[in-house]
Amino acid sequence: MASQQASGRTDAVIVGAGAAGNLFAAVLAEAGKSVLVLDPGPDWTASDLYSSSIWSRRLRWGGPAIESTGAHAFGAGFNTGWGTGGAALHHYGTWPRLMPSDFTMKSDFGKGLDWPIGYDDLRPYYDRVQDDVGVSGDAAAEIWRPAGAPYPLPPLVQFAQARLLAKGFHALGMKTAPSPMAILSQDYKGRPACLYDGWCDAGCPIGALANPLVTYHPRAIAAGARFVHGAHVTRLLPGKTARLASGVEYVDSTGTTRTALADMVILAASTISNPAILLNSTGGDWHGGAGNSSGLVGRYFMTHSIASVYGFFDDEETENYLGVTGAQATNMDHYGKQSLGGGAFGSLQWQLAPTMKPNDLLGVAMARADMFGADLTAFMARAVHHLAVMFGFGEGLPVLENRVELADRSGPGGTRTPRVVHSFAPESVKVSEMAAQLGLKIITAGGAAAPWSGPMATAHMMGGTIMGTDPRTSVTDSFGYSHDIGNLVIAGPGLFPTAGAMNPNFTNHAVTLRSAEHALARWLS
Amino acid sequence: MPTHTSFDAHGPDRRALLKSAALGLFAYTVAGIETLLSPAQARAQGARFTVLSDADAALLEAFGEALVPGARAAGIAHFVDANLARPHAASLLTVRYLDVLPPHDAFYRAGLAALDAASQALRGAAFAQLSPAAAKPLIAAMLPGTISPWHGPPPALFYLAVRSDAADLVYGTPAAYARMKVPYMAHIEPPADW
Ligand SMILES: Cc1cc2nc3c(=O)[nH]c(=O)nc-3n(C[C@H](O)[C@H](O)[C@H](O)COP(=O)(O)OP(=O)(O)OC[C@H]3O[C@@H](n4cnc5c(N)ncnc54)[C@H](O)[C@@H]3O)c2cc1C
Ligand code: SF4
Repeated sequence: MASQQASGRTDAVIVGAGAAGNLFAAVLAEAGKSVLVLDPGPDWTASDLYSSSIWSRRLRWGGPAIESTGAHAFGAGFNTGWGTGGAALHHYGTWPRLMPSDFTMKSDFGKGLDWPIGYDDLRPYYDRVQDDVGVSGDAAAEIWRPAGAPYPLPPLVQFAQARLLAKGFHALGMKTAPSPMAILSQDYKGRPACLYDGWCDAGCPIGALANPLVTYHPRAIAAGARFVHGAHVTRLLPGKTARLASGVEYVDSTGTTRTALADMVILAASTISNPAILLNSTGGDWHGGAGNSSGLVGRYFMTHSIASVYGFFDDEETENYLGVTGAQATNMDHYGKQSLGGGAFGSLQWQLAPTMKPNDLLGVAMARADMFGADLTAFMARAVHHLAVMFGFGEGLPVLENRVELADRSGPGGTRTPRVVHSFAPESVKVSEMAAQLGLKIITAGGAAAPWSGPMATAHMMGGTIMGTDPRTSVTDSFGYSHDIGNLVIAGPGLFPTAGAMNPNFTNHAVTLRSAEHALARWLS
Repeated sequence: MPTHTSFDAHGPDRRALLKSAALGLFAYTVAGIETLLSPAQARAQGARFTVLSDADAALLEAFGEALVPGARAAGIAHFVDANLARPHAASLLTVRYLDVLPPHDAFYRAGLAALDAASQALRGAAFAQLSPAAAKPLIAAMLPGTISPWHGPPPALFYLAVRSDAADLVYGTPAAYARMKVPYMAHIEPPADW
């Protein structure tokens, strides 16, 4: 295939302008490396972030369709982003750390996998990142929290919905704490404090939420990193030997195939696209895909289950439209892998009182998707001022058969598009079922009327390019370096060997910062 | 071997399209003249459909209204039609979240055809002719997937997609928030009143 070379060779080409890509770009560029970042999506700016659930849909992945299948098909359309900031542009900023027990599941229980590193290896990076981007919370109130520096900012303001839901936890002797949020409770480093309008899902244009537009992207730009949009990376290009990549091939917005040559390739194109690009890279001796001597590229794809629990507080204005899209409060009493009993295995994290807009997937009308016509009209009249909701995020165990693979549809540059195959392990389904039961008990104890739980949903994506010590059982080392290709680093939650029950982006940042600094040190040596 | 092409690499520049949408309203043709209108205005002025046939649009209005009262006047058929006319990346339809493979015009057409056929088979009349009472059991069987006969996309997905389109227009606009006494509190006002 004829292709044109992008102007000049760079020290590093970074695939994907999302959370991991921008952080990597900032670290490398600030150290004087020449950096090219390629992303198929638009060059979003704050002024694109209209406060509307309807308009926010254009921020989601708009490239070649991702197929999703399996007994518990993953919600790919909702969970992916594109363009500057990636999914993190419209993510909700709920930033808990993983727990030490998440790193040693195999050793502790003979189930799942171990990480090649422990919590203590990541702890300094969590501390530095929270200081960089501004995280609000109350470390002392989070009795479950692992060791680490207190948050740089006090917790966010809570509204009636959080107070009402907390009553149920307290009635059952459970504790709640303000959710740790990468949203500013006070002005911080030139960025303004949150206004509690709950538009985070549509992207926060004022910069109160730590999306890449206001965290690492400006730093990368200031340090000279070059971003090219409309650039869909199709494959890695083999180098002189199978142990080296010479760069990447991409299709630009005019449909022209181009190459970007670099000393180092960083794949930060999301948990789905990273394995898809590797599996499509069959040049040279990479017959089974690049970096895939283990046969594990795409394997152990993981997601979190969500148990949603709703109830009415008819005598109170729940103010469910105020606050932030993520959560106002949390409880982690059942984070222990076996603490739910009843055949469940895996952690559970409660997030209380996310903002509910009247429409959209997580909105009020969707809380009772079975209602329509006059019944829905009556439900809405009651619910927009009196409904409360809490979500139980459940751990999905790493399962070999859950995977990103290539489908039979053709994508840009003659590639095949990705398909995600996902079914929760039976123990993980149990976690979600027991969470729903527990949630109903809690919300009832708090005095909610007519409580119900919604169908199990999925959120977040992890795995598919897992890290480990053994090249036969993992794709990269703990720094994201491919075991097979010496100048290839993979970044993002795809590296996680277990998912815990924690929203992944804080850990994503901690792992990425550790990787980027290691890459620099290795480069300099 | 790859069998479908799902990527239009030669399509118009996405950014330009997003910007033109940001001017606010969708372009509809009324009496042969292209005009920028909201879906409700487009319906009131009898704007032509671009993707949907008139019959499909009438059925979509009837179904949307049965799901979320108010959706017809809010212009659900014009809203869906205008979005289907845009490139996938610029579409504002919830179907993007439901992992339905594009092209989405085929999804809507097939869903509408299945609905009308089910209505004929189960109620002996076109869906648009049914009273709310006659339509209710038929609609109620869509989300659980028990509706039969059904020859189209998964009935639950089709139900959720249209119900959400309708809810967007009836409950998701600044005007709807005002009606419900829910403060909108926009950082950046959405470009159109829907
Ligand atoms: C609605 C929503 C809410 C969320 N809320 C939270 C939360 O509250 N807390 C939390 O911790 N996490 C949350 N997340 C998850 C969080 O956003 C992700 O974990 C994080 O963004 C992952 O970072 P990443 O760099 O791997 O991927 P992304 O940030 O998605 O970036 C990947 C980039 O790669 C690009 N790309 C894809 N394919 C290609 C290709 N072929 N060539 C070139 N570039 C490509 C994409 O366009 C994208 O810009 C949320 C996600 C969503 C969608
Ligand atoms: S609620 Fe706060 S973080 Fe969310 S969009 Fe508004 S100002 Fe930004």
